Amino acid sequence: MNECDKCGSPDIIIKKKQSGQKLCSNCFIESTKKKVLKDIRRQNLIEKGDKVLLGLSGGKDSVMLLDILSTLKNRGIIDLVAVTIDEGIEGYREEGVELAIKNAEKYGVEHRVVSFKQYFGTTLDKIIQNNSLEVRRNACTYCGVFRRWIFNRVSKEVGATKIATGHNLDDETQSIVMSYLEGNIQNLTRIGPKSQSKSDKFTVKIKPLREIPEKEIGLYVIAKELDVHFAGCPYAGESFRAEIGTILKQLTVNHPTIMYSTLRGFDRIKPVLKKEFATESVFEVCEICGEPSAARLCKACSFLKQWENQD
Amino acid sequence: MKINVKVGNNEDTVTISGEKTIKDLLESMEIAAETVVVKKNDYIVIDEELLEDGDSIEVIQVIYGG
Repeated sequence: MNECDKCGSPDIIIKKKQSGQKLCSNCFIESTKKKVLKDIRRQNLIEKGDKVLLGLSGGKDSVMLLDILSTLKNRGIIDLVAVTIDEGIEGYREEGVELAIKNAEKYGVEHRVVSFKQYFGTTLDKIIQNNSLEVRRNACTYCGVFRRWIFNRVSKEVGATKIATGHNLDDETQSIVMSYLEGNIQNLTRIGPKSQSKSDKFTVKIKPLREIPEKEIGLYVIAKELDVHFAGCPYAGESFRAEIGTILKQLTVNHPTIMYSTLRGFDRIKPVLKKEFATESVFEVCEICGEPSAARLCKACSFLKQWENQD
Repeated sequence: MKINVKVGNNEDTVTISGEKTIKDLLESMEIAAETVVVKKNDYIVIDEELLEDGDSIEVIQVIYGG
């Protein structure tokens, strides 16, 4: 008989393949929220009095995180500010920005919309169109570097002590498998629920949804009737991450616990990886922008400089 | 039996025979079940939910590539 394992309702919306647990809409929403709050406590992601900068794209992951973090804000545990980055992706980003504004307003959260244009004088579309460097990377690499730069800069502008992003279980297992397959052990030592830079110039980054499967995040926002932007970034399809994501999703069909076991196994081995392979970067400040950097120029300024020279 | 199926902005009526589930319907449409949430007559349902004549099915894609 298909009925909710918690309340007995016959209207179940999920039968978890990994555990067999059946839940109705209300019990699913409550248990997911409880799980995220428990993960936050267990991993010590947030402390009372933190000012949390939430990266709010308007997509399902960040809006779900807004829904959950706003409960901590309403209980006076944290201060919350949402930041939306407009990368300049025509025909894609506009709707997300609009929904981010709407959601921040709905939850009564301070909100800033910032852009690549504002900080770097260009857009992601232009970067990709005009990039004639010999070694060209895919759009996600540039986008990631510039987004991280902006989040760190804005976190200091608003006095945030943590940067929270909506990375989910699928994202995290993709990162683990990608880094391993690329032999990027340095990257592996940095994957985790909370960044641990020795430099105080980097605001600590946290991933409260790291143990929630992407499909369950989709289910949460639909069950809760949250207004979110469902669309794929036009540049994402070309990435190695997308290829790995497709393989992992395929694997979960017959092996529903594969992402959990990948994450658990990695979390167990990570202390050893860190001990053996983590390098102590000497952090200076970037000569151009003043952001922390292990080299003379930070990655963002280094890209900008290369493009300046190509013109 | 006839079923109304909506995927994104596309709506269509499909005819199916025999006892079929949401999972069967998604497979016949070549939609990966792990990337969508399905509503039957406005309520979210699980993959093994049986289809009935006159049902209105909405397939919402929640996971996009990348």
